[in-house]
Amino acid sequence: MKTLSPDRTPTANVAAGAVVACLVLIATWMIFFFAPTEATMGEVQRIVYFHVSVAWCGLAGCVAMGCCGAMFLVHRRLKWDFWSQAAGEVGWLCATLTLMTGSAWAHEAWGTWWTWEPRLTSSLVLWIIYAGIFLVRSSVEDPLRRARIGGVLAVVGMVDVPLVLMATRWFRGVHPVSPEMDPRMRWVLLASVISFTALFTYLTWQRRRQLELSERAAQLETTVWSANVASPN
Amino acid sequence: MQAYESTKSLWWLIHKDLTREFRVQHVWPGMVLLGLVLVFLLATQLELSLEEKTRVAGGLIWLAIFFAGTIACERSFAGERDAGCWQVLALYPVAPSVLFLAKVAVNFVALAALEFVLVPVFIVLSDVPLASRPGPLMLIAVLSNFGFVSVGSLVSALTAGVRRRGSLLALLLLPLVVPVVFGSAEATRLLLTGPIDSQWWLWTELLAVFAIVFVVVGAFVFEFVVEE
Repeated sequence: MKTLSPDRTPTANVAAGAVVACLVLIATWMIFFFAPTEATMGEVQRIVYFHVSVAWCGLAGCVAMGCCGAMFLVHRRLKWDFWSQAAGEVGWLCATLTLMTGSAWAHEAWGTWWTWEPRLTSSLVLWIIYAGIFLVRSSVEDPLRRARIGGVLAVVGMVDVPLVLMATRWFRGVHPVSPEMDPRMRWVLLASVISFTALFTYLTWQRRRQLELSERAAQLETTVWSANVASPN
Repeated sequence: MQAYESTKSLWWLIHKDLTREFRVQHVWPGMVLLGLVLVFLLATQLELSLEEKTRVAGGLIWLAIFFAGTIACERSFAGERDAGCWQVLALYPVAPSVLFLAKVAVNFVALAALEFVLVPVFIVLSDVPLASRPGPLMLIAVLSNFGFVSVGSLVSALTAGVRRRGSLLALLLLPLVVPVVFGSAEATRLLLTGPIDSQWWLWTELLAVFAIVFVVVGAFVFEFVVEE
């Protein structure tokens, strides 16, 4: 395992954060003030712009977690595990938001908070797979072993998700697939997806940085402790 | 020559596990008993017309089989660790994929044995003609078993050395095998309620794809699991 590189990113961090904040604010403004109000559902339909964006980020998180897990298994560099864990955690947050926004939308559209509809079911399965992987990771203390187990599970999860989507889609469902939309609505949806993807990337980057810094702190602590043991005076 | 040696090792690994199970019976009786309890409980709740029972029977029997089958998967590696055999097994001079395929084969046999007990009991208790078309049902069973045990063996090996492994295995395995649960339940329902049509083949193909993908993925990533 290579030694972790020193942290040189605070300025880039602040700049990236500012850009992402602007993108999210613009997208939010477009959702509430630019997009036309939908005729049937009214204002509640605006949930869709958030819902589609976080659902996309939830799936992207799963793929990123799997790819970074595979990179760790190949290269054995802990930084790939930090990326994998960070993408998985932010993806899980997005999966949670997908379930919440979807549930709120379903309550208005279908008159129920939850129904065993294929896409809802597949989102819930994705959420449970994420949660299971985190639980297994939290049960292993050694970082390298945790990274190895997490990497294999992330790859398995990534391969499994398309099959889960396929299986659930083949059930008859009521979830809308590519409905007809006003061109302005499509632009807002696109802006929303881009800004949330940027936010997802930024949060993943921040979480990865935090994980790397904690690992470096732990390494320093061990070094200081070893030095004290070697020469107590 | 190498393929011959690997096949011979695979056979001896399967033989070792099956011989141990037949001698001391420390996994199968518990698994079958749990399966029977689940089938009894499910059958007592089936106070429905025969038509409705036939519609839901596929999902119920497969859930009972998979839930009880997690015991076989869990013990396949946890048993090796508890008996102190894990390191010896990892040092065995064969490719890790051979170890994985041996465990898959043993768990497949365990699940098949479980099905041979549970399906007739379920038919007797529920009156649902599950075995009216034995050939297609066997095909569903074979593909489902391969899909389930390939993921089950892999996850079992990963969780064997961690705390709370039993609950973690069930928590991870059952969501991962959702396509197998849906596929086997739907294929069985279609088999019981109508002719074998393109829809039935669609679900059977999904089961086949899942089984092939996870046997291959499992064999490929298993070397990362056994390296400690």
